[in-house]
Amino acid sequence: MSRLGSLLRANLKSNFGVSVLVHRFFREKKDRWYLPLVALGVLGLLPALYGYLRFIRFVFELLQPLGQERTLLTFAILLGQFLVLIFGLYYVVSAFYFSRDLEMLIPLPFKPFEVMLSKFAVILVNEYLTMIAFVVPVFVYYGILSKAGPAYWISASIVYLLLPVIPLALVSLLVVGMMRAVNFSRKKDLMILVGSLVLVCAGMGLQFFINRTAAAKVDYQAMTGFFTSPNSLLTKIGAGFPPAVWATKALAGAFGGEGLAGLGIYLGVSLLLFAGMLLAAQTLFYRGLIGIGEISGRRKALSRSEMSRRIEGGRHPVKAVLGREWRIMNRTPIFLLNGVLTVIVIPLVFLLMARVGTGNATSFLRAIAAGTGLTGILGAAAFMIVSGCLNGTASSTFSREGSQFWMSKVLPIAPRDQVIAKFIHSYGIAVLGFAAGTAVLVLGLGLKAGPLIVAWILALVAGVALTAVGMIIDLARPFLDWTNPQKAIKQNLNVLFAFFADFGVLAIVGALAYVLAKAGVGGRGLLAFLFATLALASFVSVRYLLAFAERRYREIEI
Amino acid sequence: MIEIRHVSKSYNKGKVKAVDDLDLTVRPGEIFGFLGPNGAGKTTTIKMIVGLLKPDAGAIVLNGLDTRTDALACKAMTTYVPDYPAVYERLTGLEYLNFIGDVYGVPKAARLERIEKWLEIFELTSAVGSPIQSYSHGMKQKIVLTAALLPAPRVMVLDEPMVGLDPRSAHHLKEIMREHCDQGGTLFFSTHVMEVAEKLCDRIGIISKGKLIACGTMDELKALDRGAGPTLENIFLELTDK
Repeated sequence: MSRLGSLLRANLKSNFGVSVLVHRFFREKKDRWYLPLVALGVLGLLPALYGYLRFIRFVFELLQPLGQERTLLTFAILLGQFLVLIFGLYYVVSAFYFSRDLEMLIPLPFKPFEVMLSKFAVILVNEYLTMIAFVVPVFVYYGILSKAGPAYWISASIVYLLLPVIPLALVSLLVVGMMRAVNFSRKKDLMILVGSLVLVCAGMGLQFFINRTAAAKVDYQAMTGFFTSPNSLLTKIGAGFPPAVWATKALAGAFGGEGLAGLGIYLGVSLLLFAGMLLAAQTLFYRGLIGIGEISGRRKALSRSEMSRRIEGGRHPVKAVLGREWRIMNRTPIFLLNGVLTVIVIPLVFLLMARVGTGNATSFLRAIAAGTGLTGILGAAAFMIVSGCLNGTASSTFSREGSQFWMSKVLPIAPRDQVIAKFIHSYGIAVLGFAAGTAVLVLGLGLKAGPLIVAWILALVAGVALTAVGMIIDLARPFLDWTNPQKAIKQNLNVLFAFFADFGVLAIVGALAYVLAKAGVGGRGLLAFLFATLALASFVSVRYLLAFAERRYREIEI
Repeated sequence: MIEIRHVSKSYNKGKVKAVDDLDLTVRPGEIFGFLGPNGAGKTTTIKMIVGLLKPDAGAIVLNGLDTRTDALACKAMTTYVPDYPAVYERLTGLEYLNFIGDVYGVPKAARLERIEKWLEIFELTSAVGSPIQSYSHGMKQKIVLTAALLPAPRVMVLDEPMVGLDPRSAHHLKEIMREHCDQGGTLFFSTHVMEVAEKLCDRIGIISKGKLIACGTMDELKALDRGAGPTLENIFLELTDK
């Protein structure tokens, strides 16, 4: 195998842990239960896929009489490329500049563009996986509905493979250029944080415009308008970002004249940008990397009095662990984004949607505001729980320690104390989310104090159970051998499993309440039932978590 | 005192025997050097002593307490320096030392005195206010060593502690190790540097393929006399050349 081929292969294998998985499943024969669990998780997504396919069919049948059905492809292509952009910046910055293996790769006899290419390949595969759920169903179902011939399927495969290239090459050029122009590497944390916030704002902005473009109700006219109106966002973006139009032509035109022309231009521009990126890599990549390991700022010796002031004494271990958790979470940009910032951003997104648009989220929020009595209380509680608990804080609390978990094992702190500190930290972030949700409900929708207080009580109790469940899931199989903090949350299946479990807990409690309501139990009775059930779930899950911790801390070997 | 009683540990469902019926005692006041080729079982043994790995069989007793039944008390009297200094990089050196002081219950006055002393010896005073992620490998190693010394432990377990240290720091560390044992402490460390083991250790154990193949003072090892030669290096090469 060529040198570059070996590098690409090694990087892909190392990033996706192929060798480790093969060793674990087939040599050590460990963790095999994991496979059916993943299969179950995929099966759990089937209803959502079914809903998406129905939506595709609905839009296709809406647009076909107008001869505009290919706009559906433009939509999928734009959606895919937008996702590539959103995730691309994270991936590019962390893979190109902050992977731990760079220190090992740079001294090897590779050209700078080869090292960057190996990183690019990993990102590309990640992007294919990211897009698969959104783009492939449209391409496939469109092909089936339009009874496309083999040419379409070949074109679709080529277009899908090329789809991330243009946005990723653009992001890479931007990042490599910026890293060279300004030595951001010394402020890498700030860069990741600001970049991510800009993307979140961009996402919210897009949501804002989509809501404005779509009319008050999701009806035929609105949908047709969204896809075909010359003023719609889709048309505007499509016009402003021609690759989507070329790709659409390549797909819809199959191997006809228009199709081949579209494919040719699309392929040509992709290759051109890709080549430009490699050229930039060869000249700029290593120059931007220099200084990565350097110390930021000047070191100043602490005076004796300052040292004395900063040396603490006598904190309880729970407080010490809590302080550690808080500091590490807030000082690691990826963790911060998924913790404190998420619980603030989620309610804001809902507020924005409620202010400007339509959609399920909006009607949900308006229903809470308009709802009286039980509906308002339950809606507000649900909203607060979604705001505070649906983040990866609890379900990655052990995984986030990574290779430093050895300290939690050897230090003389009882697992129970460590878990209590971690629980307080995760629960604190959840409560922050409840507060952010409350701010939205009060300031944005004018919800009254009465229902809010009851909703707070329910959310606080539910939060205990959901935090404990998330922690139990992570403790059962902590993901400790990550090399990039992003993996501890973004590629941690525990976070996904915890989402399912949280929804499961809420669904069961909700279903029981529904049955009782149908049986004629009144509002107060229902609230009392919900409170009691959630309190019991909280008690049981916390008890189990503490007992489980004592056992698991002994069992986990590193 | 560290008592390792017939301890075994295997990986891969018993297929790979990392440590095989290891039985040895390290007495108080003793520096015990643990030598062996790569993959011989040194780190596995060390990890079992400090509680990172669970022995499949046998027991480990620290100053009369069994690590299985009195895990927390054993940890409270022991500190450990791993072969790679993976520490909380997002904390400053001082925050990390404060954290260690808190969990070992070191009072403020003692904490201040010891931190100042070790930081000065390891020349870390000017860096201690900066995040650990800005430290070099050697500096990280030194902050981990400072943290290990802070609680004034009775038992110290060090896995290749000299790696990454500059000659001056390595020299200081050897003095500190001696001082620790002169005060009645127990020290167990692994190394690949034969000269260090030969000059510093009161007793030496050599492990190969999970089995303890030799153990004793330097004189006792020399007395094995298989015609290897007078140095520890000669003895080591002879014994492990199987």
